[in-house]
Amino acid sequence: MDAKLDFLQELGNIGAGHATTALSHLLNGQRFDLIIPEALMLPFQEVGTFIGGHEQVVAGIYIEMSGDAVGHMAFLLPLESAVNLVNLLTGEERSELDEMGLSALQEVGNIMIASYLNALSDLTGLLLMPSVPGVAIDMAGAVWQSILAGAQVADTITLIKAQFSTNSIAIEGNIIFLPNEDDFQKIARILGLEDF
Amino acid sequence: MKELFVNMGQISILKDTGILTTIGLGSCVGVTLYDSRTKVGAMAHVFLAASRKNRDLNALPGKYADTAIPALIELCKKRGARTERLVAKIAGGAHLFPNLPTTTLSVGQQNITAVKEHLALVKIPITGIDVAGNHGRKMRFYIETGIVVITAIGKESKEI
Repeated sequence: MDAKLDFLQELGNIGAGHATTALSHLLNGQRFDLIIPEALMLPFQEVGTFIGGHEQVVAGIYIEMSGDAVGHMAFLLPLESAVNLVNLLTGEERSELDEMGLSALQEVGNIMIASYLNALSDLTGLLLMPSVPGVAIDMAGAVWQSILAGAQVADTITLIKAQFSTNSIAIEGNIIFLPNEDDFQKIARILGLEDF
Repeated sequence: MKELFVNMGQISILKDTGILTTIGLGSCVGVTLYDSRTKVGAMAHVFLAASRKNRDLNALPGKYADTAIPALIELCKKRGARTERLVAKIAGGAHLFPNLPTTTLSVGQQNITAVKEHLALVKIPITGIDVAGNHGRKMRFYIETGIVVITAIGKESKEI
């Protein structure tokens, strides 16, 4: 079990590393600190409350991964972080996200998640394709719950979470990867690891 | 007043007084059953429409609509409610990512349909409803009165 989680954590490290680098490029070299990604296995009863702050308003970008492996990815950030991120990107001063802002945010999420998947593709040789990104601004619990329902999670949920933040401007967020159980066995085999 | 939080897949029950609350209903559907005579009220936080016995052996009964409705009724009966007096209120089943054309599109709608079907099977009337749309909801169920209050970001709260 530990080997499986270690392996997933390493995937998360590589994927999220590429995602934050992509974000940094978008934001004129703004540096982001990546907190070491965590791979977790959680029972269904705990996964719903796992992100905390149920009534806090967050922005969520959601992508379904298809191709040689199936999975679900989410990029979640507090609303204030999302506004700061969009302002930094566009050079404008908004206090809330209008349609333009949402569209910019969706694109940022898209680029980050695509970078994450590209890194995993390069590593494994598997074709991993992101869907069109969905974007929502709502209660954290509702956003997270809808993503879990999209992934149709069963009793035990494996996920990889990477947290990033920056010091100079208040921007923080989480990139969460929900891999399909059968498919990361495939990835592990490609990388020459025994079955878990 | 006692307030119990009902998380995804859970079912909780109270009698006479207190509040049953579920936070963060997105595509999930919150279902309440109430017997006003005995003041027995129960709430389920339904995650998906149909149970998958091949994939999800140890699922909580409240997780799927087809298992949640019978489990809710049983629980209410144990606390003295009568099936023929039970009324239901439902909320949630939203689609939070309206621009996504894929499978997630239908999760909320499937949940609403399944909950309605399973209530109809046992002839429990729906007396309050606030479903679908593109926003998340919080649902609070006041056991003393049977009133359910729905709140959402940027919207007036409403009673159903």
